[in-house]
Amino acid sequence: MAEKDRIYKCLNPVGMQLPVKTFPLAPRLDTLDGKEIYISITGEPDITIPLEKKLKSDYPNVDWKVKKTYGIVPVEISEEEMKTADGLIQAICW
Amino acid sequence: MPYLAKLEKAGIPTVVVDLEDQEQMVKQEALVSGVPKIRYLHASRMLPGPDDVDNWIEPMLEALTRPLTDKEKESGLYTIPQQRIIYEGTLEEAQDFYQQTEWIPLPVQAPIAKYTDGFPIIIPTEEKVAWMLTGTSHKPDEIITHQTNRLATQGEATSGGRLEIKKGDVVRFQPLKRTATVEQVAVNAVMAGCRPEHLPIVLAIAQSGTPISTTNFPSQAVCVSGSIVKEIGMNTGCGMFGPGSVANSPIGRAYQLMAINLGGAVPGVNRMGCLGSPLNNGGVAYAENADGLPSGWKGLNEEFGYKKDENIVMVQMITGGILGSQFSPGGYRALQKSGHGGIARKFDVKGTPGPHNWLDYLVPELFAGREGAWTIVMVPEMAQHLVDLGFKSKDDVYKYLWEKGFEPLKKYRGRSWPDFRRNGWTGIEKTSGKPWKELPDDYMVPAAGDDPNEFCIVIGGGQEEACVQLAGDRGNAFSIDAWK
Repeated sequence: MAEKDRIYKCLNPVGMQLPVKTFPLAPRLDTLDGKEIYISITGEPDITIPLEKKLKSDYPNVDWKVKKTYGIVPVEISEEEMKTADGLIQAICW
Repeated sequence: MPYLAKLEKAGIPTVVVDLEDQEQMVKQEALVSGVPKIRYLHASRMLPGPDDVDNWIEPMLEALTRPLTDKEKESGLYTIPQQRIIYEGTLEEAQDFYQQTEWIPLPVQAPIAKYTDGFPIIIPTEEKVAWMLTGTSHKPDEIITHQTNRLATQGEATSGGRLEIKKGDVVRFQPLKRTATVEQVAVNAVMAGCRPEHLPIVLAIAQSGTPISTTNFPSQAVCVSGSIVKEIGMNTGCGMFGPGSVANSPIGRAYQLMAINLGGAVPGVNRMGCLGSPLNNGGVAYAENADGLPSGWKGLNEEFGYKKDENIVMVQMITGGILGSQFSPGGYRALQKSGHGGIARKFDVKGTPGPHNWLDYLVPELFAGREGAWTIVMVPEMAQHLVDLGFKSKDDVYKYLWEKGFEPLKKYRGRSWPDFRRNGWTGIEKTSGKPWKELPDDYMVPAAGDDPNEFCIVIGGGQEEACVQLAGDRGNAFSIDAWK
């Protein structure tokens, strides 16, 4: 057999993806009225400033809470806050 | 995304607003975070904010109330089978296999290589990889782990969300947070054209997790310091950043191949540097000329806390580009030898022989278009001139450059990135200890970063009087000796 026809076993260069357990989404809310919803703002003030204003003005029955950073890493709600949080909007980075 | 996954798992419904071109990244991150069906919608890059918000505020709120579909209620296990042997065939056929592409939709709209950087590779046959593994005492099936404690940099995953990395933690390659064995690093080293004596450097680079950063113009570079530079024949002289070295070039390329294969980086999917960077096209590895260090100046290894006889590799993120050639080498010589030429006129030292402080020719223009620290690569002669002027250590130079970068707050607030980096000016300004918003417009603040020691000096290059500035700070250092 000519050298050019020799069959080689070639190795995989791709890294290993650890198995990921996938979860269902959290059950949705029946209504937003009276609920504690967090607005998690990460940058893009051109969008998030009017978003926060509109949510607060057009949906006054929702108990809006805000976590804000100009960076890309969200300011997380605490374990204590998670006990009463009903939902969260993440905008714009995540 | 791990944060949103944590909330969803805890029973708190979420919705993500992102930008359309990042859809693939959202899907990918959601999957590896365990919530593949996360609800998201897109904001516009073009519309004014209020108009944009009007377009999607109702669907956004509906995402919190619309009942889940059957698919969204599913749980399971996401796994990817890992085959050690990925292809069997002739070398010619294997080249075609490794060079296969996949179509990447917007924002790319082009076929992109699946396993390579686009160039042909050395085929990682079992024999070649076994040969490569003779370059380390580590076992092929050993998982790459961190060899020292250090603080995590942005994007690095740590188990449990810790901000510090501990010795023994498994390295998670970015952006997909995959893991790898010593053999898999060796496979990529073979593909890049490395030799076994390069492998400890490539393994040390692997410890960085091969960050690629995102968004703008991120470039990566690695710099080697220690006796290994000479032992493996790295070029620290004329053309050190250019082609021709059979050590520099493959080692730089190995970084990029590891980012592609071990990290899973794909342009337009999760590697979102908008224009890409030519520095990443083939990769950049360079090295320090320790023999060129002036007396009293430490090498990179010592600067990072290692001993003079220890070998390290510095992994850097070059967030901007490269500057250089601000002056002609002849003009520089004229300045230093006899006080002649344009630089002498600028400095008002006409007719006065040097040494003169050539750094003043670079600043303040160095900070005109970009704030933050720089890595300055200079030839030995120019470093010696600085020593003769009284810069007894690199630290003296770092402090000098940092102080030259001070400017009035009003000017600093007219820059773009500080809005982001200073978190909307909500924190404390370091030099004053006062809130940013309480400082007067004429208060002087450093445009060159928070710490003089973010600067970095590397000695190298040929005989011409030249200096190149890389737009990025010193990054992290990793022991090469730990991987021998």
